This record gives sequence, C-alpha cells and structure tokens, in this order.
Amino acid sequence: MRKNNCELIRRELDELMLDETYSSSAVEHLRECADCRDFHDRQTKLRQIVGSLGTVAAPADFDFRLRARLANEASAASQFHYWPVARRALAVAALLIVFATGAVLVKNVVNRPSGSGEVARKEEPKVEQPDKPVETIRPIVQENRDKNLIAVNPEKRPQIKNDRSTSMSSLNRRQMVSVDRSGLGAEVIRQSDLLSASPAFPIDVSDQAFKVSLDDGRGNAKTISVPPISFGSQKIVQSANQLAPKRAW
Amino acid sequence: MNTLTTIDELGFAPALQQDVLEDTTSDHALLEATRSGDQDAFAELVSRYRNQITSYIYRMTNDYDGAVDLAQETFVRVYRAADRYQRSYAFSTYIYRIATNLAISELRKRKRRKLVSLTGFFQPGDGGEAQELNPPDARPLQDLELVDTERRNAVQRAIGTLPEKYRAPLILRDVDGRSYDEIARILETSEGTVKSRISRARGFLREKMRAYL
Repeated sequence: MRKNNCELIRRELDELMLDETYSSSAVEHLRECADCRDFHDRQTKLRQIVGSLGTVAAPADFDFRLRARLANEASAASQFHYWPVARRALAVAALLIVFATGAVLVKNVVNRPSGSGEVARKEEPKVEQPDKPVETIRPIVQENRDKNLIAVNPEKRPQIKNDRSTSMSSLNRRQMVSVDRSGLGAEVIRQSDLLSASPAFPIDVSDQAFKVSLDDGRGNAKTISVPPISFGSQKIVQSANQLAPKRAW
Repeated sequence: MNTLTTIDELGFAPALQQDVLEDTTSDHALLEATRSGDQDAFAELVSRYRNQITSYIYRMTNDYDGAVDLAQETFVRVYRAADRYQRSYAFSTYIYRIATNLAISELRKRKRRKLVSLTGFFQPGDGGEAQELNPPDARPLQDLELVDTERRNAVQRAIGTLPEKYRAPLILRDVDGRSYDEIARILETSEGTVKSRISRARGFLREKMRAYL
C-alpha cells in the first residue's frame, strides 16, 4: 500500500512543473517518506539543470540569410514557371510514344505468319491438290522434254510434301519456276544404250538457241533464250529438238 | 525558461538581444498577411520564433550550424505552405511540428551515415541507447561558473544520447516549458504517451547525471 502510494506521489510530482504547488497529500507524504523526498530532491535538481540550458539565440544574420534563401527559391521558381505544364506534356508525350510502340509491336506480331503449313494454305488457296503429287511430275517433264517448248503450268505444278510447301510458296510469290526432281526416278542407262548411243555428246553444228517458254498461269508468257555455249569450236548445248531424241543427258 | 543563453562557449558570435516586439498581432493574423504577400508580417513571425526554433533544434541535434540551417528550412517551409495553413492549431504548434520533423529527420540521416559526434558521444549501430565516451570529471572545481558550465555541457551531452522519441518531449517540457497538451499536439501523440516518455527520459538522464546530482 505504501509502495503504491509512493509511486502515485512520485508520478504526481513528476508531472507538475517546478513552480507549481503540490497537493497537500503530496506534501504530507514527502514529509514522512525519506525515499520519496530524496527522489524528489534529485529529480528537482535534474530538472533545474536541464531548464538552465535556456534558449540559444539565432545568429545575427539569420534574417538576412533567410531572405536571401527565399529570394533564391523565388528566382528558381520563376525560371521553372512553366515546369509543371512542361512536365505534364512530357508525360503525355512519353505515354504516346509507349502506346505507338506497343501498337506497332502488336501489329507486327499479328501479321507475322504463325506456321509454315498455314502459310502454304493461305498462299495457294486455289491450287488443286493432286492425288499423287510426286508422280505427276514425270508426265509433265517427259511430255515437255519432247517438245521444243517447256511450259510450266502453275495449276499443274507438282505439289511437294507439306514440309516443303513453305519454300514452294515463297518461290511462287517470286514468280519463279522450278522443277523438283527429287521425286523422279533415276534413268537407267544400259550397256546397250551406251553402245548404241554416241560415245559422247552429240556434236551438232546447229546454231539454234535453247529456248524456254515460261507461263505463270495468268497468261503471261516469258521466253528465255539460251545461246549455244561453245568450247573452242564444239557446241555442247544442243538445240532442244536434237537433244531429246538422242538422250544425251 | 526563456532566458537567452550566450554561446560564447561554443565559439560563435555573441547572441543578439531579442527584439522587444509588440505582441498586438496574433500569429494567425501575421500568417494571413504573409499569405497575401506582406513580407513585413513574415519578418515579424520570424523574429518571434527564430530563437526558439533555433534553440530547440540545437538541443535536439547538438549542432549549432546545422540547427541554424534547419531553423531556416523551417521558416522556408512555413512561407511556402502559408496558403495551406489551417487555423485549427496554434501557430507555435504548427512551426514546432515542422522543426521536430526536420530535427528527427536529421538525426536519422546521421544515424544512417554513422557519424561520430565530436562532443564525445557515439551512437551504437543497433539504434539503442548511446554510450558516453567522456565520463564526468569527479574532481571538485573551484570556480562556480565553471561548475555550471561543465554541468550544462554534461546535461547537453546526456540529452544528445537519448533516443529521439524521448529527447523531443523532454526538451519541449523541461527546456521550453510547454504543456503536455501542446507537446502531444506537436508530436502527434497522446498526452499519456508524452508523460510516459518524459518520465522515462528523466530516468535515463538521472542515471547519466548521477555525478552531478
């Protein structure tokens, strides 16, 4: 009970200002309790020492420096008077750039071909799919081999397997004609053929050029004329009408 | 409490006598006039509070030059925020709150930089209680003036070792003589918390100042 009372009295004394008057109960307690009296004396002395620190004065040029500082800030603020507007404009411009870049990227991603098979289907929607695409090349080539004119009809163009459709479609885009001979069987040259045939290239003195006519399927025909190539006085590229029957290749 | 202390001992210029001002105009009215562009009104506010604020920050930071800079920063902020000032608080509470925030911010910056105080104290890395490097001289001094000076320096150093949450209320109460209610409003905490912190701060000081009591 006494200890509890001491705590209450000490708290009361601690909360009061030094020049405030204490309650009668506190004064009575201090008169009776030596511990609290000692605590109160030391506490009062401490507070007097702390209070004696007093106020430290500001330097003499405090006002002058403050005015200079405010003037500097005002001039700096006037220099950047339009800075808030400029900052917003910059932010809007940055946003526009970001959106434009994003739109271009998205457009590129959307337009990019997703797969080779899909592209092939898109590029050649009207091409008839032959039942046996590899075998169809032989009649065309052999048929044209007998003629002086080699015409490549896109509608009858040999269809290659799916894994090559991309390269074929890209070739079609460039309007190029090519013949895939990978599906053709190698021609068998027998001994009798060798004996009956000429021992080497049949040398012909024909001056006719080797002509190839190309049709892109839209009615546009192109004729390529290859002049005879000669090594010395011998011509090794024969005219087409002489090349086929002699089976020199 | 408002005695003007010379700072010759710190090596600075002698203190100016505080101008005797006619306190006919309230702080609120002066700030209103400042808001409308009256520079003289702001100068009057500065002259009223420059010593108090400088002294308070100096007691908090134990660095006079830094305290002057922070006091100026306090007035700059008051000037800048004059348009946003609300009259719900007393102006003294408002300006002391700004000064307290600046001082605490400075103390935290120092703690981060782990600066060692040139007055002979250092703060440990755990942010806890600081330790004294310069123990008090127990020999008796002949000159009473020297005794007082030594005691003031010791208590200033001891206050500097207090954690910031105890330091501010102790200075506001025992040095500036402000009421618990005003301290609670400045520190934005409850009155009970303020009383508790002041009591604990005195307990810390009592231990550190045992040789002088």
